[in-house]
Amino acid sequence: MTRIAPLPPVIAGLLFFLLSLSVNAGTLTEVRVVSEAQKYRTIQIEVSVTDARDVDRYEVWFSEQPFRTLTDALLHSQVQVADTSRLERVPEGAAYEDCWEDGLPTHRDPFGSPVISPAAKRWSCQLTGLIPNTDYWIAVVAVDYSGQLLSGQDSLSPIKTRTDIPDQLPAPPDTRPVLSILTSIVICLLALFIYLRRQDMRSGKASANVAHAYVAPALIALAVLSFYPIVYGIWLSFTDAHQSRLGQESFIGLTNFVEVFTSPGFGRVTLFTIIWSVANVTAHVGFGLMLALVLTKAHLKGKLFYRTILLMPWAIPAYISILAWKGILQTDGLFNNILGTEIELLSQVTSAQVLVILVNIWLGIPFMMMSLSGALMAIPGDMYEAADLDGVSKWDQFIHLTLPNLKSTITPLSLLGFIWSFNMFTVIYLITRGNPSVDFGQPGATDILITYVYDVAFDYGRYGVAAAWSVIIFLMLVAFSWVYVKKTKATEAVA
Amino acid sequence: MNSRLLTNGMIDVSNPNIAQQWYVPIEIQMLQRWLLCAVLMNLIVLGGELLRSDTTGIYLTGLGVGSLMITRLLLPDGTASWQRWAALGFAAIGLVLGLVSLWNSDLSVYDYWSRGWLILPAALTVSWLTSASIADWCSGISADRAEAGLARNKRLEVTLEAVGSHTLLIHAVALVIIPLVWIFDVAVSPGNVLGGEIGDAFTLEHFEVILGSPTFWVWTKNSLIVSLGTTLLGLSLAVPAGYAFSRFDFSGKKQSMFAFMLIQMFPGIIILVPYFMVMKTLGLLNTSIGLIIAYSVTTLPLCVWMLKGFFDTVPRELEEAAMLDGCTQLQIFFKIVLPLSLPAVAITALFSFLSAWNEFLLALVFNTSNDQFTLPVGLASMIPSTGQRWGDFAAASILVSTPVVILFMLFQKSLVQGLSAGAVKG
Repeated sequence: MTRIAPLPPVIAGLLFFLLSLSVNAGTLTEVRVVSEAQKYRTIQIEVSVTDARDVDRYEVWFSEQPFRTLTDALLHSQVQVADTSRLERVPEGAAYEDCWEDGLPTHRDPFGSPVISPAAKRWSCQLTGLIPNTDYWIAVVAVDYSGQLLSGQDSLSPIKTRTDIPDQLPAPPDTRPVLSILTSIVICLLALFIYLRRQDMRSGKASANVAHAYVAPALIALAVLSFYPIVYGIWLSFTDAHQSRLGQESFIGLTNFVEVFTSPGFGRVTLFTIIWSVANVTAHVGFGLMLALVLTKAHLKGKLFYRTILLMPWAIPAYISILAWKGILQTDGLFNNILGTEIELLSQVTSAQVLVILVNIWLGIPFMMMSLSGALMAIPGDMYEAADLDGVSKWDQFIHLTLPNLKSTITPLSLLGFIWSFNMFTVIYLITRGNPSVDFGQPGATDILITYVYDVAFDYGRYGVAAAWSVIIFLMLVAFSWVYVKKTKATEAVA
Repeated sequence: MNSRLLTNGMIDVSNPNIAQQWYVPIEIQMLQRWLLCAVLMNLIVLGGELLRSDTTGIYLTGLGVGSLMITRLLLPDGTASWQRWAALGFAAIGLVLGLVSLWNSDLSVYDYWSRGWLILPAALTVSWLTSASIADWCSGISADRAEAGLARNKRLEVTLEAVGSHTLLIHAVALVIIPLVWIFDVAVSPGNVLGGEIGDAFTLEHFEVILGSPTFWVWTKNSLIVSLGTTLLGLSLAVPAGYAFSRFDFSGKKQSMFAFMLIQMFPGIIILVPYFMVMKTLGLLNTSIGLIIAYSVTTLPLCVWMLKGFFDTVPRELEEAAMLDGCTQLQIFFKIVLPLSLPAVAITALFSFLSAWNEFLLALVFNTSNDQFTLPVGLASMIPSTGQRWGDFAAASILVSTPVVILFMLFQKSLVQGLSAGAVKG
């Protein structure tokens, strides 16, 4: 998972330093190493072969210290010696590390490893990933078919070399546009506050001289760090912003939105997100209410003990309990231990979906339980006494007394819970990462919208598309909240 | 069918017909509820048996569910005495099925629990249905015995309901405790693997590894810097704002409060990508500052609401008196209001600290290098897709969560109050 654009390889000037010496003249094979550094973080070696009999492969070993035996070095890469007639040559630049034999790009096996023919007299390879300005010792050894070093290589004499081409970081993105926007927001707000303050002073409000100074820092922070990113995010959704060209995004209209709506996983991931949110909120409120009702009973013993324990899922950092559940649900985890089975619970679509929902239910109950027991305790007890006297059954008391009294708490809590569940990233990211996967590049079976947006933004680096997804999520939530508030208001009016 | 109606003297109990008609033994009332719960639990057990693909277990549990369901449907209502015998018969069948499937199992704790949910309800039903009071009731009860029964109902109801409540709560507690016990067990088990019986071995090697690992301390240091920074910055923004919203009347107050409310309703996701890009442009990725700024602002609305709520409860009289004595607004704020509301500010600070300490998503997005990880991202990085270090992770988890759990529990009452108030208002 690379989130930062890889540093672009920078081709430096032609800096060659040739090292030439004869290495490990064996009885069978003589290998000559020529080393040259010519690319960023790359050293190129060239090997002259006088005798390739019995050689299965050449191995390139390296270390930051001189070494005599391979146990003190690390294997960098290997080149196989085999019949190349059925293999294809891979053009220069197509493979991660280029290799040549007798001046031509080498053949590659199906896995992309270089293969040279036994007849080759000279081969060379690029060794990448070497840190600039660091001395390296590099040795090439010939290995036979049984994996043994060919004789005469008991004592290695590695070549000392280094690449001096400095790390070239990409030009830092221009901070001026961002800074000037932020500054102008701050100045505008300050001007507004000063204007409002003068107005208040004129109209003679008691606290006029200080009030704005008290709220200004918080409001400016909010404007700069919340409202501005929101607006910026909406703008991004109309651009082709991508991780590889930061700060150079250009307006492309509704293309991103069209892509989102026509993407094959859109309907599926939206449906699962809705199922996920509704199931979670229902269970949170339902179980929370059940536990709250039991915990607020007058005569129950050990209430404090129960409440303390039942608060644990809220008190423990969420990521820790989520990872604990992940462990429990592994093939060799507690769940399978208890049942005496070895089921891969998280790699089957339905069970993975049910289990991530159950884990999130586990996490969210305490909050609802506490909020609802607060509201329950606020209902005057004499209402129940009166109901008792009138012979109203417990169930009817619950329906006609408790629920209506809780309505003003449950309504906003459910809405909030819905929005929170809709945006609950950690559970799915940590337990399944959206897997089991359905199709490459599409949301996985347990992906909800927000986890998929994360993938689009930070795995694929497509910021513009991710911003479009975000805007759509936001609009969905706004629409839902609007309908919800209207509906609940409507029922309130009827009631 | 409510007994309270009678015992509370609203209806003339001396009328034998009504007493007889209204009296239902408390055992029957309870069985109606409990058997329903038992059926639900047995359906869950049945699910487990299906996962086990244990044919005998599936049949036994399935038949058990069936017999409990029929028992529930046939519970006597005092009109026909055959119902008692029928219900008794099915409960007995359930009991036998339960015992057979327990005998057939490996007698693990789970087996006792799952079979217990068939055996105990069935046995209870059998014993109650054969008891004298139910037999009496089913064969037609006299008026004064019905009256005595009502008094007995009232006595027993409290006890039986307590039994029900405790059963429910114990199950809830078990569900909460099991992952915690398990993670503790993994932390003290040798090797970085899952599995093994709980409590089969004990070692402190994972704690030694974690405490001796420089990386863990780097993550802890990062988390502390970020959390403390967030608390400081967040509070210095939120306290004045909360106070102003609570006390002052000024133009733009309504709009500002609306702005805070709106932001709190906004899903974080819409900010994530632009936040990341702004931070990247400003070079604040992989720094503590970036996270501190982000956290202070994301927790700001809730902090402001919490503080406003707290300030609202501080009496204004003191401030008015100080004002008359010639104190300036600033003096009042620092010398009177802040000391008075210090507990409230401390709670908000704790909230701020805890949210920064536990936050995962922004920390994951903003920090890509190991030496800038905060604890959440660091600990999660110990469980990659291959080479998971469960033992070390468990030990680290215990070390990381113990202090915050203790803090949370100590101040839970005020935290919960402030949070729910803030959340519901917003």
